[in-house]
Amino acid sequence: MLTGLRVRLRALFRKAEVERELDEELRFHLEKETEQNLARGMSPEEARRAALVSFGGVERVKEESRDVRGFRLFEELWQDLRFGARMLLKKPGFTSVAVLTLALGIGANTAIFSLVNEVLLKMLSVRQPEQLVLLDWRTGGQFIFGSMSGSITQEPETGLRVGSSFSYPAFEQFRSRTQTLSDVFAFAPLSQLNVSVGGQAEVASGQLVSGGFYPGLGVQPAVGRVLTPDDDRDSADPVAVLSYHYWRSRFGLDPDVVGKTISVNGVPLTIVGVTPAQFYGGLEVGSSPDLSLPVAAGPRLNPGATGRSEAKEAWNWWVQVLGRLKPGVSAEAVRAELEGGFQQSALEGWQALPPARRPPDYGPRELPELRVSSGSRGLAYLREDYEHPLRIMLIVVGLVLLIACANIANLLLTRAAARRQEIAVRLALGASRLRLIRQLLTESVLLAVLGAALGWLLAWWAKDLLLMWRPSGRGQLQAHLEMDWRVFGFTAAVALLTGILFGLAPALSATRVELTPVLKENSRGARGSLSRFGKSLVVAQVAVSLLLLVGAGLFIRTLHNLQSVELGFNPENLLLFRVDPRPKGYKGEEVNRLYEQMVERFEAVPGVRSATLSEYALLTSSGRRGPAYVEGRAPLSRAENNVYQQRARWNYFDVMQIPLLAGRSFTPQDDGRAPKVAVINQTMARKFFGEESPVGRRFGFKQDKGGEIEVVGVVRDAKYEGPRDEPPSVAYIPYPQESLGQATFALRTAGDLGQVVEAVRGAVREVDKDLPVFSVKTQVELADEALGRERLFAWLTGVFGLLALLLASIGLYGVMSYAVAERTHEIGLRMALGASQGQILRQVIGQGTFLTIIGIVIGLAAALALTRFITSYLFGVSAMDPPTFLAIGALLAVIALVACYLPARRAAKVDPMTALRYE
Amino acid sequence: MDLLQGTLDLLVLKTLQAGPTHGWDIAQRIQQVSRDVLRVGQGSLYPALHRLEAQGWIISEWGASDNNRRAKFYRLTAAGRKQLAAETESWQRFTGAVELILKTN
Repeated sequence: MLTGLRVRLRALFRKAEVERELDEELRFHLEKETEQNLARGMSPEEARRAALVSFGGVERVKEESRDVRGFRLFEELWQDLRFGARMLLKKPGFTSVAVLTLALGIGANTAIFSLVNEVLLKMLSVRQPEQLVLLDWRTGGQFIFGSMSGSITQEPETGLRVGSSFSYPAFEQFRSRTQTLSDVFAFAPLSQLNVSVGGQAEVASGQLVSGGFYPGLGVQPAVGRVLTPDDDRDSADPVAVLSYHYWRSRFGLDPDVVGKTISVNGVPLTIVGVTPAQFYGGLEVGSSPDLSLPVAAGPRLNPGATGRSEAKEAWNWWVQVLGRLKPGVSAEAVRAELEGGFQQSALEGWQALPPARRPPDYGPRELPELRVSSGSRGLAYLREDYEHPLRIMLIVVGLVLLIACANIANLLLTRAAARRQEIAVRLALGASRLRLIRQLLTESVLLAVLGAALGWLLAWWAKDLLLMWRPSGRGQLQAHLEMDWRVFGFTAAVALLTGILFGLAPALSATRVELTPVLKENSRGARGSLSRFGKSLVVAQVAVSLLLLVGAGLFIRTLHNLQSVELGFNPENLLLFRVDPRPKGYKGEEVNRLYEQMVERFEAVPGVRSATLSEYALLTSSGRRGPAYVEGRAPLSRAENNVYQQRARWNYFDVMQIPLLAGRSFTPQDDGRAPKVAVINQTMARKFFGEESPVGRRFGFKQDKGGEIEVVGVVRDAKYEGPRDEPPSVAYIPYPQESLGQATFALRTAGDLGQVVEAVRGAVREVDKDLPVFSVKTQVELADEALGRERLFAWLTGVFGLLALLLASIGLYGVMSYAVAERTHEIGLRMALGASQGQILRQVIGQGTFLTIIGIVIGLAAALALTRFITSYLFGVSAMDPPTFLAIGALLAVIALVACYLPARRAAKVDPMTALRYE
Repeated sequence: MDLLQGTLDLLVLKTLQAGPTHGWDIAQRIQQVSRDVLRVGQGSLYPALHRLEAQGWIISEWGASDNNRRAKFYRLTAAGRKQLAAETESWQRFTGAVELILKTN
């Protein structure tokens, strides 16, 4: 058996040698035969001829010998590939159109899939991620914590609210009590950190991690070491670990970074190591904290929620918790084990809540339930932001690929018609139909593979564009999209599938040939008019491109509506940036004095017309929001009583150009010593005071202090969260009366922006050289960022819709041209019998229009059924917007008419005599 | 006379039992030994040889023929000998059985 295998392998890999030996062996046989014939007295020629005759066909013998050696399938595949490549090279026009079409389709799919892969599929790069579980909790009742930082979302199935964070005592309890988890570890994001390296100040992102974080995840350092439980002790020296990304961008991959000291919020920290590139540093996919510090170091540099005294209180919930399952343990077992302790700790925290922190309705509360879910893909929040938009994008690119397939199928159909003669000859010579189909499919898969290869390159280039997409306005996705084996597998599968998809039907119809008429070259016999398959392809293409174009139309109108929406303030020539002096130790009045000093300096900068500051920038979905109460009025419902508090400098309305409608604006005299005042917007005036004039009325942000603040003026509504939202209730408070949590400066500029920014940095340095200026943006840029998702949708559906339209019209044109060419004889006959050119024109156009109309009707129906799934992404336009539907339908009809007109005119120009003689 | 399906393998193996030889010689010997009754269509001889080789029953090597020309010689392997014995036995049982039937009236 072994020798047998050797023979076969030799036949496969040393093909030329084996063939030569076969030749030689048969030649030897023929010579012996010839000799024998000579010996019998034949003439030399006769002898050789007789030998050949008795031998039978030499080639047939060779063929049968080859069969015996096996691996025939591979040999034929190789033959088919070479033949296919020759056929493709022979028709460079067809080939390049098809490959390019496929490359666009497959490339778009690959690029989107690489994003899906990154965000939705890829697991955290840690040891055995499938063992990780994420702990969180859910409740249907009131919250039981005193304060919380983290996220609260809604569980889609139940509508219950899900919270991400636990108190530190709850985490410690999990860690000490569990028998089902081998590791329990915690982390918490830090707000912006002021980092000073070698005298240069800047802002970095960071997180606190418990000592068991890296050992529990099994993350090995790229350089130096990672944090250990020993670092997470109150007495330990403060240390930090850098993310790879930060190491590269800030330290240029310098390996000597270990041991260096950096200053974070004024506290010196020693860098002990760097995490590897595949590990983003944190657990949220797409975000990458620059610095990781032990939890114990938190209170020293973060005076907020993790502040010294409150960090370990059971009512202060701020750490997120992950665990690693012991082998064979289910998530449910973990939940059952830990839930009781968690609820006990929550209850104790609630009972220990200091009176100052108790809400008005302080009383017994329902206990939250513990949830334990798979943590293998990191935290789910980013995923939720992306999942639905990504699904829409996948559908869009999938549709484009379908159209591309339909188009190539159509091209192949017409080409198969041209090759009918060749195929008939091969069938007549005894080729089996299956064999021919296999050969034709090899050709189309080869085409698809070429398309996929080019598409891969396109995707490689396009994926960086995709990363600039910010679907949630949360900032750029920090991830490198890797073209890994999964993406490669996806592309390969798509190529194979498309090759078979567009190749199979043409191959089947090409090999269904009646031999005799075709071989006799009787054009009227076997060739019908348009095949039904070709027609349905055209109809499908028109329908799908209509669907995409309607989507594009809706998204483009949405984008346009959002861009031209009345913002309520003037966003032009407005420069925004942030400065945060608190981490450097500025406190209370010092902060206010510093801000006033800066505003004065900014106003002196050439090119700056005016300067102001507020707590938050507009259109960034960030702010300070809570219920407000009006003295002497019943409280509004929970849905109505929320008000954004925008703490701002007295000249805020002048600089932002928000018009005052009633009362007065702020003055510099509205300071900390003066009575508390507010200017409110129209929405708040309407909701809280109805028809009455609010000026002179009083309200407050605590139920028992409804008379705390006097309304002195009303300003026009300005968009607050983003361009697409209805303006919420906003109360503007003069900032010296309430301290700012952060500050955003706003400068109305007139000169060159670059010079202004440089001068601003200089001005800040003069005040305090260690204060970084960050988040420098113009208001227009911010508004644009808020429209990132809309722009991407409009752009992608627009581009792909046009591509689809182009493909569909090429398809229609091709099919109609083919139909006209096929019917030249018939048209000539009709004209000879007296049909006018106009009649012929109308008839051909009529046929094309008929197909188009069917396509349009199907496409419109599909669009009506499907656009409601994108309602939540639209703005100022209904998902069934009649103008969009009508305009797109008309556009398609016109394009289809043009695509039919050219072949129709060719038909009408047919010379009857030539056409009849054509036979 | 045409060969019965499947008998060619047996005849080739049997012929090679006498010693290694080349394809032409195998055809000649079958013809001579059967006194011209059995003629091996050369068109089926070589596919059969290659099939037997692929199954590992014979192996081939290049050698010099009578007047020093290169020719491909086939030789039985151990597996081929076993196969020959098995096929001979089953052939004899088959012909014996046919004989028995033909002898009855």
